[in-house]
Amino acid sequence: MSSMMQPQIILLKEGTDTSQGKAHVIGNINACTIVADTVRTTLGPRGMDKLIHDDKGNTTISNDGATIMKLLDIVHPAAKILVDIAKSQDSEVGDGTTTVVLFAGEFLKEAKPFIEDGVHPQNLIRSFRNASTLAIRKIKELSVSIEGKSLEEKKALLAKCASTTLSSKLIGGEKEFFASMVVDSVVAIGNDDRLNLIGIKKVPGGHMRDSFIVHGVAFKKSFSYAGFEQQPKMFQNPKVLLLNIELELKSEKENAEIRLSDPLQYQSIVDAEWNIIYDKLDKCVKSGAKIILSRLAIGDLGTQYFADRDIFCAGRVMEEDLKRVSAATGGTIQTTVNNIIEEVLGMCEVFEERQVGNERFNIFSGCLSGTTATIVLRGGADQFIEEAERSLHDAIMIVRRAMKNSSVVPGGGAIDMEISRYLRHHARTIAGKSQLFINSYAKALEVIPRQLCDNAGFDATDVLNKLRQKHASSDGANFGVDVNTGGIADSFANFVWEPSVVKINAINAATEAACLILSVDETVKNPKSESAEAASGGMGGRGGAAYRGRGGRGMRRR
Amino acid sequence: MALAFDEYGRPFIIIKEQEQKSRVRGLEAQKANINAGKTVARILRTSLGPKGMDKMLQSPDGELTITNDGATILEQMDVDNQIAKLMVELSRSQDYEIGDGTTGVVVLAGALLEQAEKLLERGIHPIRVAEGYEMASRIAVDNLEHISQKFDFSASNMESLIQTCMTTLSSKIVNRCKRSLAEIAVKAVLAVADLERKDVNLDLIKIEGKVGGKLEDTELIHGILVDKDMSHPQMPKQIVDANIAILTCPFEPPKPKTKHKVDIDTVEKFQTLREQEQKYFDDMVQQCKDVGATLVICQWGFDDEANHLLLHRNLPAVRWVGGVELELIAIATGGRIVPRFQELTPEKLGKAGIVREKSFGTTKERMLYIEQCANSKAVTIFIRGGNKMVIEETKRSIHDALCVARNLIRNNSIVYGGGSSEISCSIAVEAAADRHPGVEQYAIRSFAEALENIPMALAENSGLPSIETITAVKSQQIKENNPHCGIDCNDIGTNDMKVQNVFETLIGKQQQILLATQVVKMILKIDDVISPSEY
Repeated sequence: MSSMMQPQIILLKEGTDTSQGKAHVIGNINACTIVADTVRTTLGPRGMDKLIHDDKGNTTISNDGATIMKLLDIVHPAAKILVDIAKSQDSEVGDGTTTVVLFAGEFLKEAKPFIEDGVHPQNLIRSFRNASTLAIRKIKELSVSIEGKSLEEKKALLAKCASTTLSSKLIGGEKEFFASMVVDSVVAIGNDDRLNLIGIKKVPGGHMRDSFIVHGVAFKKSFSYAGFEQQPKMFQNPKVLLLNIELELKSEKENAEIRLSDPLQYQSIVDAEWNIIYDKLDKCVKSGAKIILSRLAIGDLGTQYFADRDIFCAGRVMEEDLKRVSAATGGTIQTTVNNIIEEVLGMCEVFEERQVGNERFNIFSGCLSGTTATIVLRGGADQFIEEAERSLHDAIMIVRRAMKNSSVVPGGGAIDMEISRYLRHHARTIAGKSQLFINSYAKALEVIPRQLCDNAGFDATDVLNKLRQKHASSDGANFGVDVNTGGIADSFANFVWEPSVVKINAINAATEAACLILSVDETVKNPKSESAEAASGGMGGRGGAAYRGRGGRGMRRR
Repeated sequence: MALAFDEYGRPFIIIKEQEQKSRVRGLEAQKANINAGKTVARILRTSLGPKGMDKMLQSPDGELTITNDGATILEQMDVDNQIAKLMVELSRSQDYEIGDGTTGVVVLAGALLEQAEKLLERGIHPIRVAEGYEMASRIAVDNLEHISQKFDFSASNMESLIQTCMTTLSSKIVNRCKRSLAEIAVKAVLAVADLERKDVNLDLIKIEGKVGGKLEDTELIHGILVDKDMSHPQMPKQIVDANIAILTCPFEPPKPKTKHKVDIDTVEKFQTLREQEQKYFDDMVQQCKDVGATLVICQWGFDDEANHLLLHRNLPAVRWVGGVELELIAIATGGRIVPRFQELTPEKLGKAGIVREKSFGTTKERMLYIEQCANSKAVTIFIRGGNKMVIEETKRSIHDALCVARNLIRNNSIVYGGGSSEISCSIAVEAAADRHPGVEQYAIRSFAEALENIPMALAENSGLPSIETITAVKSQQIKENNPHCGIDCNDIGTNDMKVQNVFETLIGKQQQILLATQVVKMILKIDDVISPSEY
């Protein structure tokens, strides 16, 4: 036969890895399911933590979906999409990162049997998209607005949202304590978009209850020179000068050179240099400021000069801290000491240096403009505080979202059950294949209450049946899993609240990701460049290592 | 890492370098973690209490440390396991916050983990265990508050402070002269304390040590001790009513920071340069003399020429004094640090009643005592001892005692030691357990049992029959309703700790329980460990 004789057409570069077809879609789905399984157990108040230890010896203990996904270092191209949606959920809403991965994994799992049966992925995609639009509309319908309440009332409501987020974290035991702290700090910065106005400082030691919030700025004492201890450490209503220059005796120009022919002139050069620095210091003092902060170094000369004049100074202050001080006290950061006018100085009510654990902290409180807050976190171990910081970050994001977009839905799987019921109901009105697909989408949504039960060690089937029954009745829309008793309870009445935007975003992102993965039927993976190949080839002769660099699945098929 | 296969039996590569990572999950992970934690606790267990033993640790470069301070032991052990590291951090944070009780907190955490393991084997969900512990810890902390006592102290009446410090020191190698050391520590803290703000800046207490002499020779100096001597051997060894100039500039011609060059092309110019240099020296000494300084303390050095000149002009000087010491001297003598000779004024001089150089034994080493300072807000504790290791250990012990005294100034509540407070908490927690519905009841009861582990270790280390002693003390506490009964480690004959004067700070004890619970909770919550399998 002539075709036998034809030379093989080489289309792609040697070593390129391709895989395609139905098997490929299924393979992708499987990979995603495995990833979703990894984070599955972290969901909910009874969720567990993961300890991830990377090659560099860093250890992270976390319960935050996005953090875990990031640290897993996933290379599988399809599974990577899940990492991306977790990240996007994190940056968009800040919480619900585990939820979004679970949803995506579950949607895909439900789609798998259909794909195996030969349904065209595009059909599935269309139905899933429809379902998600319907679901989101339903969420909006079910959400309860907290708009128009008084500040006190609103604060209480926001605290409920924050504590729902925190309940699944390591600091869940003290969730009320931290929730009010988070709400206070978010309310303090108001509508300002800059999240970095809320500083989180970590000091190992102490119990988490020793954490406190400063309505102003707090930062760790910077490196200080001799003479620092002689400065006063407590001020009432001080003026604050913020600088971004060095106050040190140094050469004014790097590569300048002075040539002297007359030794008698020597002293004048020395004096000139001293005068420059004294002039600078004097201007700082004349400005009337009692506290001088600089991003760059304040040398021993400056330290002692200020100590002599009862002024507090701190050099090498971190830039973000300085910015926060600037925002808090209303001062502006100066790059020169010339012409310091009254307006550029900041003001605060009290400044003091206080001992926190083993560190000394500079604390500015009672600030004029009051648009900053600093949370000083305490805890027994570094990893603990790290995780607490991540948890607080989530809570802060949630409260901010809830403030802007103030509507909430009941948590504890209640909203998921309700949407699921609604979609199933809706599916029955559709003729055609889509009915099946929407039904499976509805089933996938049940993963949240199911996982909540599993993690808490309850019989998931039993609880889910109770929930389904309750939701089918007319007044059961707010019922969710009660993780304390293993039964069901009215989440809304128990104040398990989530901002509706979390759910909306999660469903949106998860559906998008699922559709994206379903729509891919071929992956072409180029071989790594020569040098990378050589490097990976050198790493051990095991079979795994040999095909690792090329993305093994395609290799095996050929 | 466990490989995943798809329908066709092909392995998935999902995670980078998947084959090189190990992963433990579920109950197995929890058990492994608990075991690691327990192992660390077991090492420290024998160091607890007045009859506890010391550990000898050798660092990679051969340096020896002998200590029974929990935080130091763990720090030096250089553990590798992640969970064990958590325990190390646990004791470190107790050290930062309280400064004492670093062994106890690890032993307690170990006991809690041991109890948790049993509960996990029974199939109780780890989070339920953690929550039960959390509840129990709150009960225990409240109980401590309840049985605590407040006592008054003042600068003149410091007996109770000394007693508490003695309890801390009794478990250390220095317990031979705990009374005198405790007194030193309390006096030092009171000297620097700001009783109104209840703030103590421990930076103002300097601890110096020197090999030689006896431990009993350890003294508290109301002033500063500098490990330096006069720059010239012929300078006076003692200066009464010294006016001290504290300088951060060297005794040499000033140099501009900008790069410079002096062109010398004639002999005359060279002469002027030479003369000028000498004039600088002269001026500098003169300036010091003019303001009335009788002693110069300099952060930098000066060459022999300047040294000779200083001797000649009868101005004693000390050179190469470190920045921190310089600052302490400035604070103690009420002087100001002067960066430039031109800035010297009589007001900026520090005043000290007496400055003397003292030599030790047969060695040529000398130290400078600056005493009777204008402002006694900086003190020095000078430790003597037979060898370096004893001195190091004494330093650590004194540090613990200082921290205890500081904590008492912040909060003057105490509880009684010798395991009495733990037993009392254990009884309270156990009673509360029975009233609690739900699975947590088991965890709460286990917490009570774990609390008994500390008195148990105390008894074991003291060579007492542990179980008998505990049961006896426990029944006595309940019968007499007296929460002061503890383990009679020193065989004094009574186990009422109130009579024995064994005190511990309330915040220290509370912190121990809270921190241990917190870390145990963290360990229990982990169900998945992903790590590179080989290094």
